[in-house]
Amino acid sequence: MAHQTHAYHMVDPSPWPLTGATAALLLTSGLAMWFHYNSTTLMTLGLLTTLMTMMQWWRDIVRESTFQGHHTMPVQKGLRYGMILFITSEVFFFIGFFWAFYHSSLAPTPELGGSWPPTGIHPLNPFEVPLLNTAVLLASGVTITWAHHSLMAANRNQSIQALTITVTLGLYFTALQAMEYYEAPFTIADGVYGSTFFVATGFHGLHVIIGSTFLIVCLLRLIKFHFTTAHHFGFEAAAWYWHFVDVVWLFLYISIYWWG
Amino acid sequence: LRQISQRTISTASRRQVKNRVPEMQKIFQEDNGIPVHLKGGVIDGLLYRTTMALTVFGK
Repeated sequence: MAHQTHAYHMVDPSPWPLTGATAALLLTSGLAMWFHYNSTTLMTLGLLTTLMTMMQWWRDIVRESTFQGHHTMPVQKGLRYGMILFITSEVFFFIGFFWAFYHSSLAPTPELGGSWPPTGIHPLNPFEVPLLNTAVLLASGVTITWAHHSLMAANRNQSIQALTITVTLGLYFTALQAMEYYEAPFTIADGVYGSTFFVATGFHGLHVIIGSTFLIVCLLRLIKFHFTTAHHFGFEAAAWYWHFVDVVWLFLYISIYWWG
Repeated sequence: LRQISQRTISTASRRQVKNRVPEMQKIFQEDNGIPVHLKGGVIDGLLYRTTMALTVFGK
């Protein structure tokens, strides 16, 4: 029986990179089909294959780490770098949309009435639901830290409770934001105000949903005893992502809701 | 009837979830040459074939 003499993880051959790449192709061409030919079949197929690839790929990572023990310290270090780099790339993604917002709002054109908000736009009151949303996300940042410390202190009940509250707050934010979207007096088609508002907050909302999903997976793994007091990188990665989502919201709130 | 209702009243947090990690570790560390994406059993194969079929069909 051959044994490796190094601490790194040589993964088993896997079909998921191939199915993932094909899924991305189906998604993008599906989007084009939807936009131009009013057909959603290809896009639905793309979404389905993307979802199935993600679920099986990440399931395999849990198997490789928790069940097979492949995540040694050097491997974990690589995963940490990877997550930090990924989050950094997402920060730059949002910087683009903030750039667009400030470009249009710092020097409003005559077509907008020379003012920001543009003439005719009634912005949302930042001290109503948006302020509640800010409180919800800040509180969720506290509860996820509570969950982490409870996990490290081997306090099972508290860690589960705190993570559950975090997930609930995340879902509450999404529900509140969905309601705001429905009730807003302006739409994405309302000039550059509508575009910058809904694209920036929309992508943020998508990231809240992604983050909440990641947290739910962590909660299930926490309940199933996957994490130890010293080794729980999946949880830490989810926590980092969640804090990132929180910080993006704070920038959105200050720039678009309050200053804007 | 009251006995049954008293017995079944329990919240999720009180129901004991068993730690199945050692079992899973045994299954996934078995030296059978099966790659990790199929090592969990029959359902793995079904899911894999379905995913493959969908991607090929799409192409």
